[in-house]
Amino acid sequence: MIEVESLTKRYGSTLAVDDLSFTVAPGTVTGFLGPNGAGKSTTLRALLGLVHPTSGRTAVLGVPYAGLAGVAHRVGAVLETFDAHPGRSGRNHLRVLATAAGIATSRVDELLELVELTGAARRRAKGYSLGMRQRLGLAAALLGDPEVLVLDEPANGLDPQGIRWLRDLLRSLAAEGRTVLLSSHVLAEIAQTVDEVVIIHRGRLVRQATMAEVEAMAAGEARVRTPEPARLAEALACSGLLSHAIGDGALGVVAPPERVGEVAAANGIVLHELTTERATLEEVFLSLTDSGAGEGSGE
Amino acid sequence: MTALVAAELLKFRTTRTAIGVLLAALGLVAVATAGTIGTAEENALGTSQLTQDTVSSALFATLVAFIVGILSVTVEWRHGTVTRTFLVTPRRGRVLVAKEIWMAIFSAGLAVLGLVLVLVIAVPWLELRDTSLVLDRDAASLAGRTVLAAMLWGTLGVGVGAVVQSQTPALVGAILWILLAEVLIGALLGLVDLEGVADYLPGRALSAFDGTIEDEGLSRAAAGAVGLGWVVGLGALGWLRMSRQDVT
Repeated sequence: MIEVESLTKRYGSTLAVDDLSFTVAPGTVTGFLGPNGAGKSTTLRALLGLVHPTSGRTAVLGVPYAGLAGVAHRVGAVLETFDAHPGRSGRNHLRVLATAAGIATSRVDELLELVELTGAARRRAKGYSLGMRQRLGLAAALLGDPEVLVLDEPANGLDPQGIRWLRDLLRSLAAEGRTVLLSSHVLAEIAQTVDEVVIIHRGRLVRQATMAEVEAMAAGEARVRTPEPARLAEALACSGLLSHAIGDGALGVVAPPERVGEVAAANGIVLHELTTERATLEEVFLSLTDSGAGEGSGE
Repeated sequence: MTALVAAELLKFRTTRTAIGVLLAALGLVAVATAGTIGTAEENALGTSQLTQDTVSSALFATLVAFIVGILSVTVEWRHGTVTRTFLVTPRRGRVLVAKEIWMAIFSAGLAVLGLVLVLVIAVPWLELRDTSLVLDRDAASLAGRTVLAAMLWGTLGVGVGAVVQSQTPALVGAILWILLAEVLIGALLGLVDLEGVADYLPGRALSAFDGTIEDEGLSRAAAGAVGLGWVVGLGALGWLRMSRQDVT
């Protein structure tokens, strides 16, 4: 369980996070979305005890991050910045973390295998590609087999296979009852991975919704084309459905296409086209963030 | 805490800095030892003074310990590893204490290594000149103070690193402070008959403790206590800074 309650973070005159509240339930993968500068990274860093809130509180598994005992076994995190010493090998980077957390070195090798870095494990980290750095970060996050995972833009630098691998991994972790929160500025990138989304803009909560609700927002009006548009419009109106002309003899109807087809059939009206005009997930995301504009910005 | 200290040891061992530091320390000690014995006059051979001067060569290890102490903290900020360090150990004070303990152990070890190197160079060399070191109580005392001084300098470096955090300013600033600022402050205080106050500055106190400077100021024990006070004070300041700052 992750809780963010009335979180506000101000850097001088810049309001990075503004009275933000949301919760993330166990057993789910939740997307934390917002455009660049929305305050996602600041929120995650506050959650992980790296940034001190100006006001409000955050908790992981019921307590502030700094109060967690055996933190590596409770929470794993990947942040956007690369946090390995460039002169240290990937394996030694993980060994240092494992030693500090009291975790056996055998777990390091196990994770290197999991993130497919065994071949590069003894190379110095400064030679790693962006994708390899992300995989190393994920291995560091998973060292303690944690109950909660917090990932800041984890798909950055991963190739399509890597993204699919990450998606399967996160889904399987959530299926085991773990809590996963991952940030992104692209909804489409994580749409297939997450169960819920928390959308923020300019440090404020815009919407917390399930993916099913977001999908429903994307469902637009039906487009129907007929040689008798006036008659169809009248029949639809009699059935309580609003329509409007959209040119080329077509009508736009705010209703599922099945319902439009039923009305047309009942009135013996010939249809030449019946489709749904869907908004893309990104259009939904953009419309939500555009309408959720508030004061302040920051990341 | 043992795990955190072990992690600090592993951090040190797993970069090339370790080899560079050891070579630098041993090189400085070797050159100083060779310079001391090589330039010794015939009438100085076999004297307690030459032994003191030779054993003092190991004090170069304290300088290296000071620099490593600073680096042990500043490198975390320079490469951003501090983020992961604080994620694994969110109680930041524990990180600082672990670094202090590690530096005390490392510095003591470095000083012992320096002393052994002094013996390895000096004993056979002096035998060739038909003489030997005078390994008496004074020599043993100097060796002991060298180890303690290294521990104080190393842990002082951790405090400096925790307060300043930025690597280049910390290193350059610390060296300028010890070599220049303290001398100037001493001179200025001398103008108003307060020169004795300068004995309480960190560099002067630790140098008086390890015998690098000899004057009529603080006794060795008092100088050591003042040095320890600086270690604790700077460590506390560093802890205050680290615990309140945002890691972005």
